[in-house]
Amino acid sequence: MDLLRSIGITEIVFQLMLVNAILGLSIYLTLYTGMFSLANAGFMAIGAYVGVVLTQNYDLPLWAALIGGMIAAGIVAVPIGLPVLRLRDIYLAIATIGFGEVVRILILNFDTLASSISGESVQLTRGALGITGIPKITETWQLLLFLVVTVYILVRLHRSRFGRAMAAIRQDEQAAATMGINVVYIKNTVFIFSAILAASAGVLKAHLTRTISPGDYGFDQVVNILAFAVLGGTSTWLGPIVGGFVLTALPEILREFKQYRGIVNGVILLVVIVYLPGGLVNINGWKRLWRRIRGQPSVIERIQQNTRSG
Amino acid sequence: MNRKLVSLLFVFLMVFLSFGVITAQDEVEKPLVGFWESCPTPSNLPATVTVGAIFGLSDAVAVYGVPQRQAVELAVEEINESGYLGETVFEVRFEDSAGNRDQAIFAMTKLVEEDKVLAVLGPTLSSEAFAADPIAQENSTPVMGVSNTALGLTGMGDFVFRNSLPEAAVIPGTIAQAKEVLGLEKVGLLYGNDDDFTVSGYQVFRQALLDNEIEILGEETFAKGDLDFNAQLTNLISQEPDALVVSALAAEATQIILQARALDYNGPIIGGNGFNSPAVLRDTGEASEGLIVGGAWNYGNPNPTESSVRFVEMYEAKFNQSPDQFAAQSYTGAWLMATAIRCADFGADADLAEQRLAIRDALLQIRDFDSPLGVFSFTEDREPLHDPIAQIVSGGKFEPLAVVMGESG
Repeated sequence: MDLLRSIGITEIVFQLMLVNAILGLSIYLTLYTGMFSLANAGFMAIGAYVGVVLTQNYDLPLWAALIGGMIAAGIVAVPIGLPVLRLRDIYLAIATIGFGEVVRILILNFDTLASSISGESVQLTRGALGITGIPKITETWQLLLFLVVTVYILVRLHRSRFGRAMAAIRQDEQAAATMGINVVYIKNTVFIFSAILAASAGVLKAHLTRTISPGDYGFDQVVNILAFAVLGGTSTWLGPIVGGFVLTALPEILREFKQYRGIVNGVILLVVIVYLPGGLVNINGWKRLWRRIRGQPSVIERIQQNTRSG
Repeated sequence: MNRKLVSLLFVFLMVFLSFGVITAQDEVEKPLVGFWESCPTPSNLPATVTVGAIFGLSDAVAVYGVPQRQAVELAVEEINESGYLGETVFEVRFEDSAGNRDQAIFAMTKLVEEDKVLAVLGPTLSSEAFAADPIAQENSTPVMGVSNTALGLTGMGDFVFRNSLPEAAVIPGTIAQAKEVLGLEKVGLLYGNDDDFTVSGYQVFRQALLDNEIEILGEETFAKGDLDFNAQLTNLISQEPDALVVSALAAEATQIILQARALDYNGPIIGGNGFNSPAVLRDTGEASEGLIVGGAWNYGNPNPTESSVRFVEMYEAKFNQSPDQFAAQSYTGAWLMATAIRCADFGADADLAEQRLAIRDALLQIRDFDSPLGVFSFTEDREPLHDPIAQIVSGGKFEPLAVVMGESG
């Protein structure tokens, strides 16, 4: 622990590393099923606001707020997922970004809207000012436990019939449908799981950072979440966790570089993306890199050489 | 003979002038800021005292954070060269928060819990302060915001200070004065509704208008990053207001001024802190004529204090650019921190908690402190107390509102 602190990873950094790992897993779920959905920041916002209202206005404990936030996001995910998941690739991405913006602007104007409907002054989300003074009640062990349980469920899921169906849909949706897989059902269920996971991260993070405002859940946050999964790799569940850890910890470890921190951080990320295109957790990528460093030809190059010489 | 006399006189003059220069330089040595008399030069302090500073030094927020760091560097240099803390070296450790709440939390944790600094200046944004200041409060470490204007900031705890006037301290005065000299009766209100700074500015404006019994003809909103304000401005201008009241950040403020003038609106435009920047004046040119701005400090402040003039000179000489309000407030913040340390004069053997507490208590005692911001005091609620400025752009320069209107009317 002292070693970690000496390189800049204090407890709060470690806690946010865990939160970001959970966020990475939430987008990993949809990516693993072949859906390029970017709705996670929106669901994170729903979770955070519902959770904070439950702990602040109704004095509920954190676990109740967590469940409340997860249920709220799950309920919202159903009517969103049904029409939106008919889209694919970049079209799905754009539609889900749109959803995130709608959530953000709804929260921004919630008080005005509610006041005009109910006729009396409502002070719930406090618009752009955000909610401040939230007590810091999330503990490291709670985050660790949550992450471990999530990973356990994921591992079980991958080996189950449902998990195989997810992989099949990613490979070829039509072939999967032909095989008798209920594509609509699987996609929507995964979308709801992803939403619930993002919402839980939202609740936990809100009770770490003490303050939330709609601006926290804009497009920047979507890109961050996507980066966790892309940098870590999406071939296994370990990828997004490592991605979330690295992207959170790296700027803190590099604090000694002062004003050059951003540059060093960017160069490291660039090198990773260029030399390990499959992400940090990708055995084939490391093997390829090793061969490049050693100067050994890859399998394909060897075959090419053989055909040329033969 | 005549020539001799002339040359003798010339030599005399040179000697006299150089004497003058030397004495003037002697005067430069001693800064105009500081409690040189009220508190004796400290003798018990440790060899170095370290204070942290969290500013947004990268990303979009760097437009505020970089002048803040430069101003603090300038203050530190002055404090150490003038021997303000006796033999003790005043050191400031800068951390970057990039305008990001998480990073502000990390930086505050690092400074307070790992580096064990005595006190912290910053962070740059109010939203960062709401996330990071509780960490300082929990560790009983004084933290002084030098650019936080949001409502309720110092309510977070008895170690949270700020030297930046909140909107609520600036705007009511501006409105009252504007009403007095312009005879405002009805105005149109325009504000950004997705930013904590512009929204709190709007709330204060609204309250001030109601208090002064000025009718609000209409309220229009925009979002951060908007470029076209024609629809909102047309709505407001068509109701023939006496003035447009706008709560916006500098980027949007520039466009709003230009587009309002393009719509043939020639009346006054009243803005808050966001308009109080040299950039707004520069980018709007003639369109800024008649712009009324309230603020804590301004580069073109028509009746500045001596220390303010000196600060501008030194800042320009060192960094080759004009200081803005954020720089002036940060400079004053660093001096206030050093003054608290000078007056506390804690022993080197006191433990960290005692040292931090001593600085907190000394900060609370600061009254009538001569600074570029004017005569500065902390209230009992750790809020700043000094005269804000109400000014109007006239002939491309900021002039005192009352004076200009008095002349023309």
